[in-house]
Amino acid sequence: MWSEGAAEPVYRLEGLTKVFNGTLTAVNGVDLQINRAEKVAVIGPSGAGKTTLFRLLNLTVRLTSGRLWIAGRDVSDLRGARLREVRRKIGSVYQQHNLVPRLRVVHNVLAGRLGAWSLPQAVRSLVRPRGEDVRAAYHALSQVGIPEKLWARTDELSGGQQQRVAIARVLLQNPEVILADEPVSSVDPTLAHGIVRLLVDLCSAFHKTLVMNLHSVDLALAFFPRVIGFRDGQVVFDRSPAEISDDLLTDLYAGRITGVSVEESPDAAAEPVRSCTPILRS
Amino acid sequence: MLPPNPSEAALPFSDRSKFLFPVLFWVCFAAAFVGSWQLAQVQPGLLFEAEGRRNMAKFVTGMFPPELSPDFLRFLVVPLFETIQISVMGTVLAIAIGFPLGLLGTASLAYTGILNDLEIAGSRARRFARTLPYVLARSVLSVFRCIPEFVWAFMFVRAVGLGPFTGVLAIGVSYGGMLGKVYSEILENLETQPSEALQATGASRWKILVYGMLPQALPQLVSYTLYRWECAVRASAILGFIGAGGLGQQIELSMRMFNFHEVVTLVLILFLLVAAVDFLSARARKAVG
Repeated sequence: MWSEGAAEPVYRLEGLTKVFNGTLTAVNGVDLQINRAEKVAVIGPSGAGKTTLFRLLNLTVRLTSGRLWIAGRDVSDLRGARLREVRRKIGSVYQQHNLVPRLRVVHNVLAGRLGAWSLPQAVRSLVRPRGEDVRAAYHALSQVGIPEKLWARTDELSGGQQQRVAIARVLLQNPEVILADEPVSSVDPTLAHGIVRLLVDLCSAFHKTLVMNLHSVDLALAFFPRVIGFRDGQVVFDRSPAEISDDLLTDLYAGRITGVSVEESPDAAAEPVRSCTPILRS
Repeated sequence: MLPPNPSEAALPFSDRSKFLFPVLFWVCFAAAFVGSWQLAQVQPGLLFEAEGRRNMAKFVTGMFPPELSPDFLRFLVVPLFETIQISVMGTVLAIAIGFPLGLLGTASLAYTGILNDLEIAGSRARRFARTLPYVLARSVLSVFRCIPEFVWAFMFVRAVGLGPFTGVLAIGVSYGGMLGKVYSEILENLETQPSEALQATGASRWKILVYGMLPQALPQLVSYTLYRWECAVRASAILGFIGAGGLGQQIELSMRMFNFHEVVTLVLILFLLVAAVDFLSARARKAVG
């Protein structure tokens, strides 16, 4: 499905909606198209529904209504082996890196192959990984800059190192699309810069599509040619960084665009997130 | 309008109800205590009457000196190993019963949560097909563990006759029920983020179980299983009383013969055995942790 439809957009969303427990609308009728090898940042206030959008796009939660095509294929009703086959083509990087803490780094990196392995292969690799797999894991860890951690226990690494392991896992999975949900929220700003750059560079080098939820507006504007403002489960704006004014950002975080008045924390609204990491803009 | 003085605002509990609840509690407690005292025929006086005193004295003086003759000790080697083997085989059987049933009875694997959202959503039939094995496994486990091992032993005596195998079956079935329930609860209470990430790579539920959930749960699973083994050692001694062999059977025989000095030796050996098992399992837990 991925090779033939090169002209097809990677993602096509039509009225995509997710309602939790019949009451809480997290994503509300989103229409969107994301093309192959595009790099897109999604920004917006906490609770805007960015994480739910991410989990809809990587086929973790089921959409409530609307339609979702991935590489030209309607995936709304997929299940079983065909669902897993599509998931294999989508790599995910999480805010909390979501590694198995008690396993060694090599196993967590090789988990990227889990979708392709059979169950006996998975068990055998846990007992003793094959030589060529170990080499592949070492290579991936070298690309993210921590090859020396190959045999370390994952829960002994720092937050930034664990995020690098999670990225190495995606490299081994070798997907067509990489989705990242606030991948740098749990690391300090200088590290954050490095990790976002790493993901952007890797996607450029391998012609992967990248969609990243970001808390930091600076990082989004610095690294991504296309930035989507997301609020109350809806796309508020979708344009290049050059077309994004400070007023637009203030409105995104204050909520004036959608006509919602700000009741709580007017201070936060007056000071957009842009100012948190001024160094990185230079 | 001024807001009402916060100190005068109505609190969820008025002073009266604050007083009422403890009083009601203590009245109920006293009633239950008195009722139990009578129904359970508690008569501490019996312990101190002439008859009771004489029997106790006979029991205590009969205990000394403990029987430590080489012949007796040599004779105990076989029952000692029998007790250990009953507990080990019983625990192995319990794992063989509890582990598969526990997996089937794990809700987060069967039908709830992130691992099942896309698979069963929008179809009642698929939901039912996923829920049925879960309910069956949970029911079997609860029958297994709610019947005490003692009762199981009486039933298995009818089936396979007197002997250690009865003890193995009784421990295996009732402990299998307990292990299965606790295994499933350990798995259900794991953090779901690693599983979510593994699923996103396209892995099936069983691969997620083997690669993500079991490694995470391993220390707890091992720890609880070892604790159950400790209990099985004690249980296998008790089961000896009804003819399942081992140290328990010797204790029962010596009791019946009024050979209290032998009983003391046997109880001491049992104590040392349980202490040794305790020590071993603590070491094993540390190694896994």
